[in-house]
Amino acid sequence: MKMLDAFRSLLSAGSTGWLRNVAPPAVLLVLIAVIGIASPGFLRADTLLVILSDTAVLFVLAAGATFAILIGGIDLSIQSVASLASVILAQLLPRLGLWAFVVAILAGVASGFASGLVHVRLRVPSFVATLATGGVVAGLGLLASNGRAITIEETSRLDTTWMNQSLDGVPVVVIIAIAAGVASFLALRYTRFGRRCMAVGAGEPAAWAVGINVDRTKILAFTVSGALAALAGVILACRLSSGSPNLANQTLLPAIAAVIVGGTAITGGLGGVERTAVGALIISIVRIGMTFVGVDIFAEQMVFGAVLIGAVSVTIDRSKIAIIK
Amino acid sequence: MTAMLAAVQISKSFVGVPALSNVDVEVRPSEVVGLIGENGAGKSTLMRVLAGTHRPDSGSLTLDAKPLRLRNARDAAVHGIGMVFQEQSLLLNLSVAENVYFGQEAQFARFGIVNWRRMNLAARRQLEKIGVDIDVTTRTSELTFAARQMVELAKALTLEESTQRQLVILLDEPTSMLGQADIETLFARVRALKARASFVFVSHRLEEVLKISDRVYVMKDGRVVAEHAADAVTAPRLHEIMVGRGLQSEYYKEMKQEPPGAEVLLETSNLGVARIFRNVDLKLHAGEVVGIAGVVGSGREEVTRCVGGFLPQTNGMLSVAGVPTRIVSPGQAVKAGIGYVPRERRIEGLVMFLSIAINITLANLDCVMSHGVIDYRRERNLAVDWIRRLRIKAPSPDIACRNLSGGNQQKVVLARWMNAGSRILVLDHPTRGLDVGAKEEVYELVRELSAQGKGILLISDTLEETIGLAHTVLVMRDGEITARFDASRGRKPDQVELLRHMV
Repeated sequence: MKMLDAFRSLLSAGSTGWLRNVAPPAVLLVLIAVIGIASPGFLRADTLLVILSDTAVLFVLAAGATFAILIGGIDLSIQSVASLASVILAQLLPRLGLWAFVVAILAGVASGFASGLVHVRLRVPSFVATLATGGVVAGLGLLASNGRAITIEETSRLDTTWMNQSLDGVPVVVIIAIAAGVASFLALRYTRFGRRCMAVGAGEPAAWAVGINVDRTKILAFTVSGALAALAGVILACRLSSGSPNLANQTLLPAIAAVIVGGTAITGGLGGVERTAVGALIISIVRIGMTFVGVDIFAEQMVFGAVLIGAVSVTIDRSKIAIIK
Repeated sequence: MTAMLAAVQISKSFVGVPALSNVDVEVRPSEVVGLIGENGAGKSTLMRVLAGTHRPDSGSLTLDAKPLRLRNARDAAVHGIGMVFQEQSLLLNLSVAENVYFGQEAQFARFGIVNWRRMNLAARRQLEKIGVDIDVTTRTSELTFAARQMVELAKALTLEESTQRQLVILLDEPTSMLGQADIETLFARVRALKARASFVFVSHRLEEVLKISDRVYVMKDGRVVAEHAADAVTAPRLHEIMVGRGLQSEYYKEMKQEPPGAEVLLETSNLGVARIFRNVDLKLHAGEVVGIAGVVGSGREEVTRCVGGFLPQTNGMLSVAGVPTRIVSPGQAVKAGIGYVPRERRIEGLVMFLSIAINITLANLDCVMSHGVIDYRRERNLAVDWIRRLRIKAPSPDIACRNLSGGNQQKVVLARWMNAGSRILVLDHPTRGLDVGAKEEVYELVRELSAQGKGILLISDTLEETIGLAHTVLVMRDGEITARFDASRGRKPDQVELLRHMV
């Protein structure tokens, strides 16, 4: 216990905890090095591009969750939103063509907005609000698909092939993920909204006292989370040529783990999308490493669960919250 | 008479700041001891040492001339020492009986199952002892504040059953939230119980202390500075000892106090918040400091909260620079040019985990936006400039505010409002928790702000500070303004005069 406490104090010394900044990239580099030595083929450009493509969906999902976590909340509805978006895309592609993408993402915007509204206006804690809206959204996905997976037919695939192609050797999904990441990073760092997110997450009473519209900031953060979750769902649907009400199941845990492992504080106000990018890569490489060393694919979630518990327990800043509920 | 409970040469510091230095007090059998002093004088710390919740750094306690070591409140209870808390310690979701015997349920339990009937009977007996008629099965949240205070007292008196000794009951500002009739009831109970218990009584209201106590200790800056028999001293005399010195005009930069301008920045008429304060008329001119004096519960805190937008008004009018304005959130207050400097600096004042620069620009990010994005270089330069102008001690504008000392944190809050161009500042206990040097710097800043034409509404921990800084002092009692004093340079009113209208 003593060693654990010492380790914690190194990591969690608030903004002066330089280890919080350094540890995630260091872990990532070590992981890459270990696997690179074990399997020399790993460090080839084409292998790395495959890993990046595989990470894209997880990262986009986690980037959205980063907003919800930064304001001091959490979004548990993201995997349901992603699944609903995949169903909407698959259902509407034959009729609307490329417009189906727009509708699918707007559905994510709407459900994120609804989560935010429930959280803020009805004063429901965000984990309950998003758990509940997640349930509603999952139900909508089941209704819209009759509970079945919908294959994107040959005729509609013309509208999705672009997603699976490459531009100058770089997969389009990777470009989309990077674009979403850069946009999120810029929004958090350089806009009023981003600044307000950090202030609300780091000290809500003070943010309210200087006149920041806390409610609006929170609603907007959940809306962004919903939009990015839908984008992740759409990418996934294109990659698998299918939409399904449980397409994105099992992605919530790795996405939240990616945010926390990257070094964003679960208590809010500290972190960012750039850290989530590192976290998502760590999760991805751990996943690959597990198949590599022969861990049963079914045990993946166990590992992610353990990683999340470990990351939160060593990084949570107990000077900020005395009582843990 | 000999001492029953005594504190001998007690000292206690919190992170290097001494709260008690070599304090000697004693409590004799069947006695009420009054304990007075300004905020921060060390009264509550001393009470907590006596109650076993704080351990002294040095010094010792004795009980009946034998050394007494208290590790926690339970230890104190075993020795017959109980505390009635200032912020009531009852759990509002439990019944009265459950509260009275909270933590002592075992005596009513068999095989882990509590016999509620027996507990309720015992609780009823306890309440009868102090002459209170309350249904013990009521949820505590349904009781009035005064009734809860009585339940607290009954709870402290359950100690009688666990020890044969005389009890010592510590009452930490039990009257601050009570009305006159309730105070009389409480005092009658205390007198009736003197045969079985001694009391230590902390209060801000000196008359009250004199009325109930046999002996009075006066504390200042963590020391006991006087001890008097209650019938040999007057309230004004006590106050003089408590404050410790006459008004020192130099300390409050009185020579720099200039007459205010003619422009009225803030005006209220009949301002009120239902059941808290009413009929507040005040005028704040450019360059003026208006101080509000009053005891806890007088409503002065709420007046400042109302002006700051935290407590929406329910009655009357408020106008800013002649324009009637309705302020129902801090955001609207900020827009109207009102900057609120809260007493809870670390919670409402600053976002402690963010940098100085970010905290300074938080109220008007516009000043560092260019082409729709935040210009970090400009923000940093701005912060460097404020750090220099307000002499904030910080190695860089990028360090988090939590790493600054209290005085420097307060300056960051002031820098923010100055940067936002707020013309009206509400200072809510601006020097709370600051050391003497930091206080003086804040006073200096207050004078500078006045010279720049800002209007300042002030409430503070001490009367001395209120009078020293203000041009005009309003006195409040029970939610109403009871007196107004001119406090301009050379015409400072006497504290005793103010006190008469406060209590």
